[in-house]
Amino acid sequence: MTEHAVSRESFAARIWRKTLDGAGVKVGLSWVALLVFAAVFAPFLANSMPLLMSKNGVISAPVLQYLSVEDRWVLATFFIALAVYRLPVGSAKRILLFLLGSALAAVLANLFVKPPVLVIYDDFRSAAYTETDWRIMPPIPYAPTDYLRDLGSKGLEAPLATEGHTHLMGTEENGADVLSRMIHACRISLSIGLIASGIALLIGVVVGGLMGYFSGIVDMLGMRLVEIFEDIPTLFLLLTFVAFFGRSLYMMMVIIGVTGWSGYARYVRTEFLKLRKQDYVQAAVAGGLPLSSILFRHMLPNGVAPLLVAVSFGVAGAILSEATLSFLGLGVVDAPSWGQMLDQAVKSSTFNWWMAVFPGGAIFMTVFAYNLIGEAFRDAIDPKLSSKAGVNR
Amino acid sequence: MLTYLLRRLLLMIPTLLGITVVVFTVMAMSPGGISAQTLVGGMDMKPQEKQALLDYYNKRYGLDQPAPVQYLRWLNNVSPVGFVTDEHGKRGEFSFNKGMDLGSSFQYGRPVSDILAERIPITLLLNLVTIPFTYLIAIMVGMKSATHRGSVFDVGTSMSMLALWSIPTMLAGVLLLGFFANVQHFHWFPTAGISSREAQDMPFLPHWDEAGFVRGFLLDRVWHLVLPVICLSYGSFAALAKLTRTSILENLHSDYARTARAKGLAENDVLWKHVFRNSLLPLITISAGLLPSLLAGSLIVENIFSINGMGQLAVEAVKGRDRELVLSITWVSGFLTLIGYLIADFCYTLADPRVSYD
Amino acid sequence: MSGQLLEVRNLRTYLQADGREVRAVDDVNFSIPKGDTFCLVGESGSGKSVSALSVIRLLPQDVASHPSGEILFNGRDLLKLDDPGIRAVRGSQIAMIFQEPMTSLNPVLTIGEQITEALQLHRPEISDAEAEQRTIMALEQVQMPQASRRFRDYPHQLSGGQRQRVMIAMALACEPQLLIADEPTTALDVTVQAEILRLMRKLQDDTGMSMLFITHDFGVVAQMAQWVGVMQQGKMVEVGPCSEVLRKPRHSYTQQLLAALPENLVKPVSVRPHSQNATDQTPLLQIRDLKVWFPIKKGLLRRTVDYVRAVDEVSLDIPQGQIVALVGESGCGKTTLGRAVLQLEPPTSGSIQIQGRELTGLSARELRPLRRKMQIAFQDPQSSLNPRLLIETTLTEPMKVHGIGVDHEQRIELAGLLLESVQLKRDFLWRYPHEFSGGQRQRIGLARALALNPEFIVCDEITSALDVSVQAEILQLLLSIRQQRNLTLLFITHNIGVVEYLSDRTVVMYKGKIVEQGETAQVCGQPQHPYTQKLLEAVPRLSL
Repeated sequence: MTEHAVSRESFAARIWRKTLDGAGVKVGLSWVALLVFAAVFAPFLANSMPLLMSKNGVISAPVLQYLSVEDRWVLATFFIALAVYRLPVGSAKRILLFLLGSALAAVLANLFVKPPVLVIYDDFRSAAYTETDWRIMPPIPYAPTDYLRDLGSKGLEAPLATEGHTHLMGTEENGADVLSRMIHACRISLSIGLIASGIALLIGVVVGGLMGYFSGIVDMLGMRLVEIFEDIPTLFLLLTFVAFFGRSLYMMMVIIGVTGWSGYARYVRTEFLKLRKQDYVQAAVAGGLPLSSILFRHMLPNGVAPLLVAVSFGVAGAILSEATLSFLGLGVVDAPSWGQMLDQAVKSSTFNWWMAVFPGGAIFMTVFAYNLIGEAFRDAIDPKLSSKAGVNR
Repeated sequence: MLTYLLRRLLLMIPTLLGITVVVFTVMAMSPGGISAQTLVGGMDMKPQEKQALLDYYNKRYGLDQPAPVQYLRWLNNVSPVGFVTDEHGKRGEFSFNKGMDLGSSFQYGRPVSDILAERIPITLLLNLVTIPFTYLIAIMVGMKSATHRGSVFDVGTSMSMLALWSIPTMLAGVLLLGFFANVQHFHWFPTAGISSREAQDMPFLPHWDEAGFVRGFLLDRVWHLVLPVICLSYGSFAALAKLTRTSILENLHSDYARTARAKGLAENDVLWKHVFRNSLLPLITISAGLLPSLLAGSLIVENIFSINGMGQLAVEAVKGRDRELVLSITWVSGFLTLIGYLIADFCYTLADPRVSYD
Repeated sequence: MSGQLLEVRNLRTYLQADGREVRAVDDVNFSIPKGDTFCLVGESGSGKSVSALSVIRLLPQDVASHPSGEILFNGRDLLKLDDPGIRAVRGSQIAMIFQEPMTSLNPVLTIGEQITEALQLHRPEISDAEAEQRTIMALEQVQMPQASRRFRDYPHQLSGGQRQRVMIAMALACEPQLLIADEPTTALDVTVQAEILRLMRKLQDDTGMSMLFITHDFGVVAQMAQWVGVMQQGKMVEVGPCSEVLRKPRHSYTQQLLAALPENLVKPVSVRPHSQNATDQTPLLQIRDLKVWFPIKKGLLRRTVDYVRAVDEVSLDIPQGQIVALVGESGCGKTTLGRAVLQLEPPTSGSIQIQGRELTGLSARELRPLRRKMQIAFQDPQSSLNPRLLIETTLTEPMKVHGIGVDHEQRIELAGLLLESVQLKRDFLWRYPHEFSGGQRQRIGLARALALNPEFIVCDEITSALDVSVQAEILQLLLSIRQQRNLTLLFITHNIGVVEYLSDRTVVMYKGKIVEQGETAQVCGQPQHPYTQKLLEAVPRLSL
């Protein structure tokens, strides 16, 4: 192939650059990056077992032994994502590679990883693990489900109030360390946000695209469907689902996704209708280009931008939904979740402020971060009305 | 206009039906489904009593029949047009005017219509107070931001609006309750309910008597409503303020505003006589979507503040797997939402002379 | 110089845009005597509108600044007035009307309210009843039919021409001494434009007011002005009496502009050996009884009550190798016809045959090979190219689909040749649309149309959004391409000057029907149909 000098920046690069040009979005992205880091490396950040220890000259890493299927898969996916990002291929191929890679990792993890089923955290504080040559503990030496029974935990305690052990954010009603649970809860929040939004996006794009392209009867039926899902009191439907189907994390993700697609469908349909009339789409039709090219090369990339804005806000909404469900007592039971911790803040007669402020604050920061990102993105696409806009002359 | 209204009302029906079908399907598909077994199972009774109760439920509500049939029976009961049934569940004649039988709640043992009649007004009160409050503040803030674009006020509010919008309702509620209604901190507001017990006996307006200042029913209500309304409104008003600002800015730069200035109007007059009314139009459109989000917010707010409205009822109904209650709440909320859309559309036609429906 | 109503001296207006300072008006001088009309001419970006807005001080204060200059109106410097001072002048002594009548009126107020507002603002002693009377009189003065009924109408209930009359009535309500008109007829159909211009001249004669008239159309200048000022990039390059500037321009830019007008363009000598036998050959395109009707649905059940007859039983032959101009005003159906021919708009009934093959009723797959023969170029440079794709992709993709070129390398080579044939550089292939100007984008659009080597191209108002000098280049380019490739063109336009320059045959459309067609010289020289006559009369010409 001959060398071609690609000059200046493409449309996408330009939008990306404009988006990043503000303080708010940087704050948002940093927070999200922090969350991702916490979610991926949680077992290494907050755990009751030592990261690395040497006993009688033998070096072992208990943490690695006890990594669950989920932990390994999350780590694998993270590194696959990094690797794929570096590859110099088109974005469509990148997404495909990533999905394939993580699916493969999931399969492999399920087949080969068999960590010990029962973990007794008290053991790690026994002589077998404490009398060592040296050991490196994770920064927060408590696992999220370590209820500290051997230490005589007394349930809810304010930060730094427990004698003998530092709990930076206090303990919750069962005795577990709050900070540790918060870190591990990042995983749930992030994954709910992404997966639920992903499902909603997929359904919305397909339905909206069909409606926009075919019009007529398909459009009418589709609109009725959209209206139905829009008008169902969403929270109520969620409650119903969860109450009747039981509480499983994956079920929740699917349900939040299935109830939230109507907004995306409307966006996609509007964009489609607008795009169909654009001259370059008409030129593509006049040129006899195949339908797939018209849809995916000419229409979709140009309609994606407002959709991404909606997704950003949608992820925030999904995280809020999960937190609300947990708060109302219908969330996941054992795995730590911010909403569930918030629920504990009001349960007893005293107001346990640390249970409200820290998990609540985390939810707030996350939602805020996604909203900031969404805003910055929207301003980049339609800069006429941002606060930095000049006069339109 | 009339044909448009008629058409909208007719189109509501399939949507409402659709909503109830979805919810019914969810209930039917769940493990355990909607059978009398789940209702009776947990109770502590002798086997014969259990059996008797089971039979009663089955006969009364037809819970032993397949789901689609159950749905149709329920639909028949609810719709004002259908077959008249007696209390043994036998079908009578077809009538166009048979009245709506929403069924009885399993949990409470009372007719659903009674329960709803008690609870809906409370939720409506909460929401109908919130809406004007929200709009008023949003318009004021939005207007100030737009007219002083780039100022400290503007930049500060837009950041804080976004932050405000991001605070989850339950966190706000919990914090408000924990700090402002608590003996531990500031006990400025009551913790629960929408009126205190003494208030029932109080006269309506505040006044003084020998014992000192008497709050009166009205003020007592207001006092109880302050925290819940704040909690319910802050999210929407952040969004509305932003919308107002955008809309006013857009209109301030429009061609017709320029014409008004060319005529010699002062900037203030341009704003109030020309721009204001046009800027309100998108706000009216958005008000359609406001009611459903407020109803959802009510769920949380009523839960936190122990207010016995429809939201609280919804949570309890779902937790108790109370089929009749769940279905009725579903279609009532759906109905309110759709009516909300209709009212919003209608208000829009009043405000914008360009739009006419036929 | 007393006797001058308005004197602008050394005016500078700087604008802040995206953090940079733009010298929109750079040391401009002109003056307007009482009762005369001064036309400011120039292409887009010349600063003519900004100059006008500066006079009345309508530019937003946070963006515009006037580092130097004086604007003397009746001896007073307007730039030195405080806010209440300039507001007293606006609307009562100097009034302004704008280009877009659709958006220049407040949609939620009646036109009566908007006109009385202007009245009562500057003459607060007038009662409401008297204001209404005066308003109705003003509406009658601008020849608004049924003036008293219109008082309570909303802007959206009026046509474009009627709205502009309302704007004029509103501006003249307080009998100003100077009327500033910023391209008031550019957005109107040519027949409506003629009426409005006539009206404005009459009003000027009746009231003795001066006009500052902004336009880009020299024909309008010739009809309206006693004085002309030509602007280029913020500077006034030539000023003088109208007859002098138009007939004996001194500055090179003015000469260029005048030379670029379609009526002044030199037509290249065309060598077309078959021109005599044109009528013997089968026409390239045969259209018979074409109907494109759009249903109007009303009522409870959405039944079709009537149709919008965009194209109403049109029959047309387009001979090979000729340029056929399709003329008409807005809403006549010419664009719909062009698109229907290319099957971009499904015809309701009728037949379209290209080289004998029937086009209507074919499936997409059957249509595909025929699409090579006919292509289209569009009007709006902003939306005619996919902003996400490199020019190279836009040009080579159709080639690939139709099997032109054996491999990608060859297609790139062909694409490069295409760009050169529209007088663009080859390495433009590797750029994105947003990096090009409007004129360049139209050339790329033409290159795309040529990519499949078609025999027939529909040009849908391709020069209507371009400046006159750029338009001249594109028209000359079209002629040379037609020559090289023996193309047949259907050129849709509303500009009669372009029609006379470019086309061999002319077809005139009105309300979906063809009212007249024939050789251009015939149709434009001796029009038969009354509508054609009206249309041609309305065109503002340079030579009077």
